[in-house]
Amino acid sequence: MIDCDVHNAWKSARELRPYLDSYHRDCLDRGELPGGRDSFPHAHRPWLHPEGFTRRDAIPDDGSTPGSSYELMCEQLLDRYDLEYAILTGDEAIEVSTLANPALASAFARASNDWTVDRWLSLGDARLRASLVVAPQDPAGAAAEIRRLGDHPGFVQVLVSTGSQRPYGDPFYWPIWDAAAEVGLPLAAHLGGQGGINANPTGCGPPTFFYETHALLCETGMGHVASMICHGVFERWPQMHFVLIEAGVAWLPALLWRLDADYRALRKETPWLQRLPSEYARDHIRLTTQPLEDPPDRRHLRAMLDAIDGERTLLFATDYPHWDFDNPEMIHLPREWRARVMGENARDVYGLARRCAPEPASA
Amino acid sequence: MDGSFYALHDRCPHRGGSLCAGPLTGTTAVDDQGGVRYERAGRIVRCSWHGWEFDVTTGQALADPRTRARSYEVEQIGAELYLLSPSPRKDS
Repeated sequence: MIDCDVHNAWKSARELRPYLDSYHRDCLDRGELPGGRDSFPHAHRPWLHPEGFTRRDAIPDDGSTPGSSYELMCEQLLDRYDLEYAILTGDEAIEVSTLANPALASAFARASNDWTVDRWLSLGDARLRASLVVAPQDPAGAAAEIRRLGDHPGFVQVLVSTGSQRPYGDPFYWPIWDAAAEVGLPLAAHLGGQGGINANPTGCGPPTFFYETHALLCETGMGHVASMICHGVFERWPQMHFVLIEAGVAWLPALLWRLDADYRALRKETPWLQRLPSEYARDHIRLTTQPLEDPPDRRHLRAMLDAIDGERTLLFATDYPHWDFDNPEMIHLPREWRARVMGENARDVYGLARRCAPEPASA
Repeated sequence: MDGSFYALHDRCPHRGGSLCAGPLTGTTAVDDQGGVRYERAGRIVRCSWHGWEFDVTTGQALADPRTRARSYEVEQIGAELYLLSPSPRKDS
């Protein structure tokens, strides 16, 4: 089983000090930090989970941040479910996208990536792969960072938050797509980064309650998917994949139906496209399953997932150690899909060598 | 609580998370003026994973009374507590 969304964390942002230059070290030591002393600098989203957003049983005994203990991660996830690979997506790092100063954001993204190499990829655990975090508001800096570390074998994707100032098909971000294509890494966006400079109200204004907002987690994902298809990103970089992490899955078919229908009418707006929008999605876009929609009648979900060729386009994820964790032993996916969704699709997208026997079809 | 003992199986009926690792707390209700008041302090256990609320005395999920955490009848004999086989009430 390959888990495509595991949140490794630092106990304290002070762990980044060795990887920062003097100016940015001073920012951590003496600068303003919205999260309090030793916190990672980023703007905070205005929706607050009333119980905290991690599993309570994932808090290490010393009270430190869930996800910061490799031993506990082994016990509760890596060993517990006998994972073949875990794709680490960090925890706060993607929140650099919320900062107004692009250079500052990139500096902390770089430090986070160096920390990831030192603290996680050097553990010697062959199951671990990681994400190269960049600051999307600094496309040139992001491209440089991708070229700096993109060849490290431990990184399997470039990662940004879904919160952004423009959707990711926009030419503003093309240097990032270009660099990722050059080093051969997919671009991924993980739910988050919705504060600070990314606090864009929806067309009807911001939601009020945390769970109301959480139910709307598809919103940014929809924007990015439509944008990159319409802008012809996959014509420009046909080798590229986009992985959307923790934005839900069941909304995608309806969006693709509409894009196809509207493209048929208004093709002249995007003459660079050679195929239907849904065809680009099928070949180039992958979605992680967590948190998997949970309808009372699972046939309804099955129908939606069939419509997007879910057996080939979904990537299983737990989101350990967050509160909306999907238990791999109780995930309502079709049995005959398990081999692909819980392993082979990720192997294809991330180029992962086989470390153990394939999951039997009848598991 | 209230001089009685209650027992719930340490497995959330939602996705199998540990109830024991979750907080024992209260919950909210709408008051007479349409505001929100806090009530049932210490009588609600929240699953340590997704936070589902269960009434400790009945095992009922607050958000969906048709769902229950499995409960056990508890008998006290002297200084010892005995859990009896699962309650005949229907589990989810």
